[in-house]
Amino acid sequence: MKKLLLITLLLTLNLFAAPRVGDSEVAFTLPNLYNESTNLTSSSLRGKIVLLNLWASWCSGCQEEMPLFVNLQKEYPKEQFEIVLSSIDSESSFAKEFLATVDKQKVLTSLYDESKSLPKAYRCPGMPSSFLIDKNGKIVDVYIGSLDDVAIEKLKAKIAELTGK
Amino acid sequence: MKSLYFILGVVLFLSGCSEHLVRVMPYEKEYFAQDKMSLSPIGERAEQEGHIFLIREASAGGDSSFQGGCGCR
Repeated sequence: MKKLLLITLLLTLNLFAAPRVGDSEVAFTLPNLYNESTNLTSSSLRGKIVLLNLWASWCSGCQEEMPLFVNLQKEYPKEQFEIVLSSIDSESSFAKEFLATVDKQKVLTSLYDESKSLPKAYRCPGMPSSFLIDKNGKIVDVYIGSLDDVAIEKLKAKIAELTGK
Repeated sequence: MKSLYFILGVVLFLSGCSEHLVRVMPYEKEYFAQDKMSLSPIGERAEQEGHIFLIREASAGGDSSFQGGCGCR
């Protein structure tokens, strides 16, 4: 009885734990920001390295790092490394308006998470939050807050490590 | 056995103080980020109001903690 209670207690506590490095990514199916009739599922991203970025147009840190992401994505083919943005704006038009100023060519894969399901699932302690996910869907690195030039260089080194190049 | 119930009780009690219940999470701060939520939403207007305050109170510096507001500056 004691063991059963203890196991139940531990399992209950585990339910409240946020996904960490080494854990599997949170599975999702979210609509494309520019075309909400098409969805993207996390499983379709397997086989490539993904930087999942949870952002919002009202978050100044998110705005600062976005041009860096556009430049970073241009350096890699999407089959190898893909930046996936997930906007949690209350209206998708806010996200589109902002992206129109920094990502005119729509280089970044942009999703719309109206219900904020991903930040809730990842229990984001800050905005923006980014998760580097490997080819098998495992979380390799977690970045809380905006990435600057130095962090982007470290991220590139990590991508090179993961791709073996 | 009693201690297990005690631990269980403490965990349930403390979960009431969980940050998810009492704290606005970072991803929920959209409305807080709006300009109208700042204390001085319009910079120019705040400056103008400060100027009017100085005239009305006949004191310079009384609007901050830096000066005493005695008008003797």
